[in-house]
Amino acid sequence: MLVIRDLRKTYPSGVQALKGISLKINAGMFGLLGPNGAGKTTLMKIIATLLSPDSGSIEMNGADLLAREDKTRQILGYLPQDFGFYPTLTADQTLDYFAKLKGVTDKMERRALINALLERVNLTSARKQRVGGFSGGMRQRLGIAQALIGEPKLIIVDEPTAGLDPEERVRFHNLLAETASENTVVILSTHIVSDVSNLCSQMAVIRHGEILTSCTPQRALDQVRESVWEATVPLDKVSALKSHGLVISSQMFNGLARVRLISRSKRPSEEFTAVSPLLEDYYFDLVSQPERVR
Amino acid sequence: MRQFLAVFWTEVLVNSKRVVPYALMILFTAHAILWWGWGPAVKLGWATNSEYYIVRNLTGFSFLLGLPIFTAVIMGDPVIRDFRLGIDPLIFSKPISRAQYLLGKFFGNFFVLVCCQAAFPLTLLVLQAFRTSQMVVQPVRILPYFKHFLLLVVISHLVLAAVYFTAGTLTRNSKVVFGLAACFYPLYISYGYSLKALVPRWMLLLDPFMLGLGPGGGGFEHSADFLNRYVVRYSAEMIANRGMAIVVAAVCLAILYFRFSITKRSRNVEAFSLLGLSTAAERVYYDSDSFKATAVAPYELIESHEKVILPSVKRVSEGFSANLKKLIAASRVEFRLLRAERSLIVLVPLVIFLSTLDLAFYRVVPEVSYSATYASKTANALLLCLIGVTVFYVGEAMHRDREVRIEPVLWATPARNCVLLLSKFVATLTLNLSLAAVVGVAAIAIQFLRGHYPVEIQQYLLTYTLILLPSLIFLAAASISLNVLLRDKYLAYALSIGISAGLFYLYSIGYNHWLYNPMLYRLWTYADLGGGSTQPVILIHRLYCLAIAIAFLALAHFFFKRSFRKAFLVDGRLGGAGWSLLIGVVSVSVSVIAGLVIGR
Repeated sequence: MLVIRDLRKTYPSGVQALKGISLKINAGMFGLLGPNGAGKTTLMKIIATLLSPDSGSIEMNGADLLAREDKTRQILGYLPQDFGFYPTLTADQTLDYFAKLKGVTDKMERRALINALLERVNLTSARKQRVGGFSGGMRQRLGIAQALIGEPKLIIVDEPTAGLDPEERVRFHNLLAETASENTVVILSTHIVSDVSNLCSQMAVIRHGEILTSCTPQRALDQVRESVWEATVPLDKVSALKSHGLVISSQMFNGLARVRLISRSKRPSEEFTAVSPLLEDYYFDLVSQPERVR
Repeated sequence: MRQFLAVFWTEVLVNSKRVVPYALMILFTAHAILWWGWGPAVKLGWATNSEYYIVRNLTGFSFLLGLPIFTAVIMGDPVIRDFRLGIDPLIFSKPISRAQYLLGKFFGNFFVLVCCQAAFPLTLLVLQAFRTSQMVVQPVRILPYFKHFLLLVVISHLVLAAVYFTAGTLTRNSKVVFGLAACFYPLYISYGYSLKALVPRWMLLLDPFMLGLGPGGGGFEHSADFLNRYVVRYSAEMIANRGMAIVVAAVCLAILYFRFSITKRSRNVEAFSLLGLSTAAERVYYDSDSFKATAVAPYELIESHEKVILPSVKRVSEGFSANLKKLIAASRVEFRLLRAERSLIVLVPLVIFLSTLDLAFYRVVPEVSYSATYASKTANALLLCLIGVTVFYVGEAMHRDREVRIEPVLWATPARNCVLLLSKFVATLTLNLSLAAVVGVAAIAIQFLRGHYPVEIQQYLLTYTLILLPSLIFLAAASISLNVLLRDKYLAYALSIGISAGLFYLYSIGYNHWLYNPMLYRLWTYADLGGGSTQPVILIHRLYCLAIAIAFLALAHFFFKRSFRKAFLVDGRLGGAGWSLLIGVVSVSVSVIAGLVIGR
């Protein structure tokens, strides 16, 4: 179990990125959701020993991750948000290099591991290609392959699917799902709600450096069950609907607006029908709360 | 015209927010003050504002002081910057023509360059109001400063600027521009030699920097009175020369106009090495094939292959042996990356050419033996070349990880700081030694071909081991520590050039001492290496040089940015910072003791 206690970070520019984050993360896939600038990447970098917090602690199964960077890096697999590879090396050479840096010294074992990794991420046929010629999806898969070297106990993937086409995104979801196991903590940081709903058994929502909630996706859905409504209305009525509840989305459909909103107290009006909630509904409801209070 | 002006002023604005132009202005102003107060004029009674001295200063300023290299710094990457920052699609989707864009970029940056250069003549102009007791100053004059600055500096650098701008824009590779800039002096000097065979008239016509302007001998062959009355007149050849310079610049820009393309080059693999996956989707580049494959497949249709079980592996991350293996692996990768640098295609032949030029084309007078002379001459020439090579490639190696964005991935691996840092040191040193070996082989081949027998390999080995090896270790270590401390590649380049130029200037005017001459420049002959009274001093000096190199590495390790905790002790044993401190203290002590012995 990964335990984060009262983690705080303020950048020299004065931006308070983390305002006392506390989380308990069990083994399995954990989704950290939040809008851009919420503090997700700062949190991921601190866990990955790339950034120092001002205060707070991070423990994994009782061991202090911040006290011994070298020990932490031995159990870590990290896929950053913004990364590249040496463009002139091949996929094979790249993985070989990272395997050596992670201490896989036996040549035969290393070879077998790299073969299996390339197979898993479906890059066997591209193993001799220079990474500089890879597409975004291929490089992202190579990124997860290097993160998986050496059976890491803690895997951090920061915004891994943004910018990928739908096919690559599904492939990547499958890969991530395969990495989660009983004794591995996988933290998936993202602003794409469907990534979390597809993959994670636990989740938290972060905003402005604070955790708004930490629960299971199922529990999150329960909180908005029987509160989500949908209707198709003329365009000029849309603005008036804002007084009935939180408008989650408003899409054009045959010259009319298909409106989805959350209203807990009652049915907004006759034309609305109750629909099954999605994690997006819960997320938007949660992150818009301060605005509603105001 | 409006679009041209918009691009022009944006370039001026962008440059106004950079440090480089201000640094150049300060540098040029300082040089003007130096040349005014401490130049030959004061000693020799030349008037500091005589027309001759104005022209002498301006031609010197235009050619010396690395000004052609600074021109490359300003003019090399304006278009590359747009592509690198990803602004290119935003600009090219606007109604702007190629000519407006390119000329706006060129003249915007050239204007900034001229403003920087103008700091030199303007300072000299202002300094007319001041004088020291020994200084001769004529009545205040203004026009000659502007006239000669325009004709001798601005037009000369217009050509260079056009060449650098064209090369940078067409290749989209700033290393090519810096490679050209590095080649400037050897190429120009070689060109100058070839012009010497011509009559003075043709020399004046064909010399792009017009260094032959004015009375010969740098003024030293004439009286002060003659020089103070000397009026510089531009002959028809000179005017034609300036006209040709403008035409060459125009031709370069015309070639650029016809060859420039806004599409990405398929061979530019570096451009595909960046991923920006959150909000900057425009940084994810797909090659053309991947667009064909992006037809959306339904979720269930995407192949779901059997889960591949990863084999269990044994990992060893601690202990000397494990770290040594990581260092070897990292050094091999670093060296492979250095070998892939395209600039080596130019630099390797250039280093061989410059290091063996003297031996291949001129008379060789043997000192101890032919082999000793060949080895000494190549070692001396090679050292000068390798200063530049080391500074450049250490900068590349030290900043590459950040530039290709692999740094967070590498830093999250359980590789020690010393592994990441020393791998770059080892790789650069290996590259330098490879170059030295190639030059050595070339020198042996030339010796063999010229029939200067016998060829004695051990004399090469002795010279290269005692002179080259410690100096190269020192250079690489010093350069690495400079890059770690400054954290900026270009700042490190500029400082290295400045320090080297300053030291060589001191050596050339007679301030040459063993303690601040780590390369032993002009302090040894082959006879000293083989025996004699100087040999022990040379050996101690080499120890002194190596100890300082180790101290530099310890310093770099201590300040390496990756660690946010400086752990002196970890679990009762020395941590990374503790080792740096210990090694640093020991090596500084050794160097101080060696220095004291040398000083005696």
